[in-house]
Amino acid sequence: MKRILLFFGLLALSLYGYAQTSAVVRGRLTSAEDGTPLPGVNVLVKGTSTGTSTDAEGNYSIAVPEKATLLFSFIGYLTQEVALSNDQTVANISLENDAKELQEIVIVGYGEQSRKTLTGSQTSVSFDELKSTPAPSPDQLIQGKAAGVQVTANSGVPGGGIFIRVRGTNSINASNDPLYIVDGVFINNNNLVRTGLGNQVASNPLADINPSDIESLEILKDANATAIYGSRGANGVVLIKTKRGKANSRSRINFNTYQGWSWAPKKFKVVTGPELATLQNERFINDGGSPELVPFRSKASGGSGLPEEQPTYDRIGDVFRTARTRSYELSASGGNDKTQYYIGGGYFNQESIVKPSEFDRYSLRINLDQHLNDQVKIGTSTALTRTHRNVSSNDNNPVGVINSALFPKSNLPVFNENGTYAKYGSFDNHLALIDNLNNDATGTRVISNVFGEYAITENLTFRTSWSIDFNDMYENNYNNTLILAGQPKGTATSALSRDITLLNEQTLTYLKTWDKLSLQVIAGNTIQKNTYQVTSLNGQQFPTNSLETIASAATQTGTSTKAESALLSYFGKASATWNQRYTLDASFRADASSRFGVSNRWGYFPAVGAAWRLGEESFIKDLGIFDELKLRASVGKTGNQAGISEYASIGLWQGGNNYTDSPGTAPLQLANPNLSWEETRQWNVGLDLGFFHDRLTFDINYYDKYTSGLLLNVPVPLKSGYSSLLQNYGAVSNKGFELTVTGDIIRNSDFQWTSSFNISTNKNKIEKLAAPFTTGSRDIFRLQEGIPLYSFWIYKQLYVDPQTGDAVYDDKGNDGITVADRQIVGNAWPDFYGGFTNTFRYKAFDVNAFFYFEKGAQIMNMNRFFLVHGGTQSNIGYIPEQLERWQKPGDVTDIPRMTTVASSNNYGGTVQNLSSRYLEDGSFIRLRTVSLGYNVPKALLSKYRVASLRLYVQGTNLWTGTGYSGLDPEVNSQSGVSNTKNFDWATVPQPRTVQVGLNIGL
Amino acid sequence: MNTYSKTITAAVTAFTLLLSSCSDILDTKPYQQLPAAGAITDATSANAALLGAYSNVQNYYSLNYPTLGFLPADNVRFNGTLNQFLQTDQNALTPDNVIITGTWTTIYQAINSANTIIDVVPGLTDPVLTEAEKNKITGEAYFIRALGYFDLGRGWGGVPLVLKPTKTISDAQGIRRSSLPQTYDQVLADLTKAEELLPEAATRNRAVKKTAQALRARLHLYREQWAEAETFASTVIGNSSYALITPYKAFFTAPFLTNESVFELTFSNADPNTIWNNWYPSALGGQYNFQPTTDFIGVLNAKGGNRSSLLASVTTGSTTSIYGNLYNRSGLRDDPAYILRIAELYLIRAEARAQQDKLDGTDGALADLNAVRQRAGLANSTAVTKAEVLLAIEDERRLEFAFEAHRWFDLVRTKRAGDVLGVTDTRKWLFPIPLVDMGADPDLAGEQNPGY
Repeated sequence: MKRILLFFGLLALSLYGYAQTSAVVRGRLTSAEDGTPLPGVNVLVKGTSTGTSTDAEGNYSIAVPEKATLLFSFIGYLTQEVALSNDQTVANISLENDAKELQEIVIVGYGEQSRKTLTGSQTSVSFDELKSTPAPSPDQLIQGKAAGVQVTANSGVPGGGIFIRVRGTNSINASNDPLYIVDGVFINNNNLVRTGLGNQVASNPLADINPSDIESLEILKDANATAIYGSRGANGVVLIKTKRGKANSRSRINFNTYQGWSWAPKKFKVVTGPELATLQNERFINDGGSPELVPFRSKASGGSGLPEEQPTYDRIGDVFRTARTRSYELSASGGNDKTQYYIGGGYFNQESIVKPSEFDRYSLRINLDQHLNDQVKIGTSTALTRTHRNVSSNDNNPVGVINSALFPKSNLPVFNENGTYAKYGSFDNHLALIDNLNNDATGTRVISNVFGEYAITENLTFRTSWSIDFNDMYENNYNNTLILAGQPKGTATSALSRDITLLNEQTLTYLKTWDKLSLQVIAGNTIQKNTYQVTSLNGQQFPTNSLETIASAATQTGTSTKAESALLSYFGKASATWNQRYTLDASFRADASSRFGVSNRWGYFPAVGAAWRLGEESFIKDLGIFDELKLRASVGKTGNQAGISEYASIGLWQGGNNYTDSPGTAPLQLANPNLSWEETRQWNVGLDLGFFHDRLTFDINYYDKYTSGLLLNVPVPLKSGYSSLLQNYGAVSNKGFELTVTGDIIRNSDFQWTSSFNISTNKNKIEKLAAPFTTGSRDIFRLQEGIPLYSFWIYKQLYVDPQTGDAVYDDKGNDGITVADRQIVGNAWPDFYGGFTNTFRYKAFDVNAFFYFEKGAQIMNMNRFFLVHGGTQSNIGYIPEQLERWQKPGDVTDIPRMTTVASSNNYGGTVQNLSSRYLEDGSFIRLRTVSLGYNVPKALLSKYRVASLRLYVQGTNLWTGTGYSGLDPEVNSQSGVSNTKNFDWATVPQPRTVQVGLNIGL
Repeated sequence: MNTYSKTITAAVTAFTLLLSSCSDILDTKPYQQLPAAGAITDATSANAALLGAYSNVQNYYSLNYPTLGFLPADNVRFNGTLNQFLQTDQNALTPDNVIITGTWTTIYQAINSANTIIDVVPGLTDPVLTEAEKNKITGEAYFIRALGYFDLGRGWGGVPLVLKPTKTISDAQGIRRSSLPQTYDQVLADLTKAEELLPEAATRNRAVKKTAQALRARLHLYREQWAEAETFASTVIGNSSYALITPYKAFFTAPFLTNESVFELTFSNADPNTIWNNWYPSALGGQYNFQPTTDFIGVLNAKGGNRSSLLASVTTGSTTSIYGNLYNRSGLRDDPAYILRIAELYLIRAEARAQQDKLDGTDGALADLNAVRQRAGLANSTAVTKAEVLLAIEDERRLEFAFEAHRWFDLVRTKRAGDVLGVTDTRKWLFPIPLVDMGADPDLAGEQNPGY
């Protein structure tokens, strides 16, 4: 602690220790191009932190020491240095446009490049407009912002996992998540929360990154852009650059806050007690029961009372709430020509709209750059994060909060007569859960990088970088005796999971521009080691509900695990541009993974790309139509090995197979010494167009990916004693089209209108598979050759016979309904998806509206599956849809008659209720965010020494257009189960949020 | 330019040094697994492998196998949400039923463990591993394999007989289904071998000579080899280590391993059996998935004597839930899986004798039947004719083994599942082979049980 204080002390000294005032200089800044005044220009005394900025009329005044030099800097203009003569008191300056800076520079793998010369396909997402959206993690914010990137929230649980795919799903068994790189650190993206929540991924490790610290985000999509990341690049790469202090800029302090209120736009509905009783009686009679003996008959005759006498208990209302979101951030940045700094701290808290979950995060970031001399620069990017989640189960879990409110029959009381919580069947009591759930997950994250750069010559730079991603999750769960998980005498778990990645990287970069040729060559290597450890303790039988620590438990058991993996890589890349017209890129990477056997460790991943700026050729230029006309093409290969077991290639026996409390071992997996890299070949062609001084631009891409040698758990004959063997077998293809149109439609001094639209398609197909296999609850998803991943395997209901009231299914071969009639009915892929943003600015006001849409994905509505059960589920009630059942000959409906008779296949039997009647179209268009902001004019602020003040109000998910009958079409309840998507199952919906915010800059 | 090239040289040298020192970073070793080749090398690891084989038997006997034994029959109904159980209850199994897949998979895992021990242990040269110890380990493995194939045979009919450990996947390829007699022949061969190798002892949670003989009595009963069934039942009954203990509930009351027990699998809190959770009502923290049927409750209370202790009840408010109480260790989670009890040997012998028309007298069927009835606190059976005695035995077995892995298999064995349970489609008397295996195993092509 002392050292830290000392460090900050020194920092403060170095920044504020200089200024010795002797005179005041005034002046006016104008544009060299047209002479208009420039407000907001930074004015700094060189070598100090003394600075100011120009007012609305371009005027400034600043106190300067003797023989001072002033620096004038402004975005889009060349920085100008002016050495003041003695006694000079006026310095009027005109600034020149910076042609280079007007050219957009984008971050690419291991470097930067002008967008004009890019050959690959990548999308930049600006974070300024996104940072105030109430989402804890940056990945959620890029939804709809980048063509070819599909982002779907799995649920409305704050800090929970999300579904993200860059250009489709490549792999069946290995990871499909893109590689995230924050300031050069490869980020671990493994969920560490171990508490079982009903197959929902409990945490999103990217929620450890405060979106406000992000300066820019690049999504690398095609092989040429990603191949430099070789084995890590197959699923796309997300490069995140956080904010850094700028050289020779005055200190800026920013404070941001917003306060939000969220609620569920739509809630579950169940039938009333009398309706339920009517349905139950009908079921009884349909199954051959005597009408005199129906269960709901008068109490006098021994029944449970007549249907109309049944009470109705509302449970659903108890679980939803108006949830609060709060965010506070404070940051300072600045720097002189030697030292630049950015320090940011934040607190974010978001309640779930379903009790009792909650997420909060404390974050701190320090980015420092120090030039030791003209040749050597050192620096660090360090982020510390503390997160806290109060997690609760939902989704596929009978003791989840939503399940316990949704599933029990509505005529049954919430409390027993003696006042205790009433529980029915395998369901818990929802109020017992809300009041007693005690699952605490505290995360500690350090993402830190230190680097040194040595400019060996003007053109050649050596850089070495050492990074750590330290991710710790400490969970303490106590289940008291009032909830089912705590039966019979209380259970508790305390677990510490630790995931550490160490990364060392060296690069040598050669940059040189001759008259017409510019050349960039990079060579480097990385060494990466990952260690994953878990230690957990369990306690059972507690003396009282007040003693929650495992020390108090009568039975205490514990376990620990550890696994390591390593990657060693060498890479090189060369990029040459001739006359700003022709660009040729080539890259190559070799990776060795510890997961594979010695002879198959190395994978080699080359890529090439070319771009031709046709628009620069005179025959096009002369047409006077195009400001930009660029053709791009690339092809390359990337690899994947993430997500498979650390020791996947070795035949193993495992301990822990104990008997009579003595240690035992048993076979775990068969060896596959031939196991090697899963490889994705991708080609991409693209076209960039710019019209009307680049105010209208098009970015068009077509890609074709083919992933082969899939790391696949191929089912083996079960008589072998094993169920599968990890093999390089199988292939998946993804092909798609992406279009982005951006328009700078109106641009005058008072009113501006910008608009951006993107749309993408992706066709996914399993090209090769050893044998079909199923996955997900009730084996609802099936993987087989020739169909896409995420295909639903169910019984196809044709109609309900109006005469008999029985469901009629597609019966292949007319031999009665057997498992052979179970078939693929639809899949969870959208035909297309995208986003549409419009921003309007009028003087100090701005309005932004952002729509996100998906068309054609199917959703399996498991809530209907369970709650339209025809009487087969003795402990589950009904939703109103059950009332539409067939009742008498002539009724035309999709819902068969009430019955539990297996042979009817209506709800049970062979069909097991896996009927296509519960599969729905999940298309939607959603007003994801809409905001109204007001920037208080500088003239009003300057007297209070405030540089900027912005007030805004924003709505999230205010409107959704969809035909989907569930709560929310953006749903993925079984995110923890691989190869499944679009289950809707007692899941927290996306919240509707209204928030107000304030940004102040000093 | 000179400094320039020096610097380059220095950088490149540093670079190369750094790289050459790090290739061993790739040689990671597992921390909690053993390479398969080194799994069994000495006495300690051979014993560990044997315990692991028992652990695999636990895996299918803690929930799945008992469920397949009682749920398709008339003692228990399914009261939960999971379709795989509902199908089992309704005799509407499909090949994609996950209980079926899970049971088939775990039994073959136990067999693979046993095969490995049988293959490796006799050849070990550890000086501390005596011949007697080797025989004991190998004998137990033979027993585990016999139990596995017996449980497969009575559920699915004849199955593929894999007798060598799977070292590579090709070891298990090319083995097609055997007939049921061939499967039972293999069980007999393994039990004979086990009998030979196993010691006399009265260990109840590990296989000993008497365990093998008891299973052999049951095997002969299933094969309708009445004389052998009688002989082997007598061998076990004649051993003073085993006796019908009173009251009935003593055998399922902690600390377990009573004289009643011939073979049970022991569980503990660290190695738990959580089947209780399926039986207990929610008021007691369970899910109440397995609910005794009204019919069974009536019959047990009327004719079960003190076996009514198999049921218990709990009242919350005005609702009383009657639940099965055989598995009652909700706190310590150490309910055993009951596999062979001495009462079964009595009833095996009673049935074998009745089938041989030995009804009365000290070596008659009724004597054995009445021994079991007396223990339950009931008067002697009033059955007289052979048919009556056989029916009385069937009814007795229903109550005596109400929640163990018997009732369904008994009614299929005696071909009475149609008459008693109404499952008249005899194709449903065998379970389907898992769909995933039909896809993964070319040797099973066209060999699915009929009706699926």
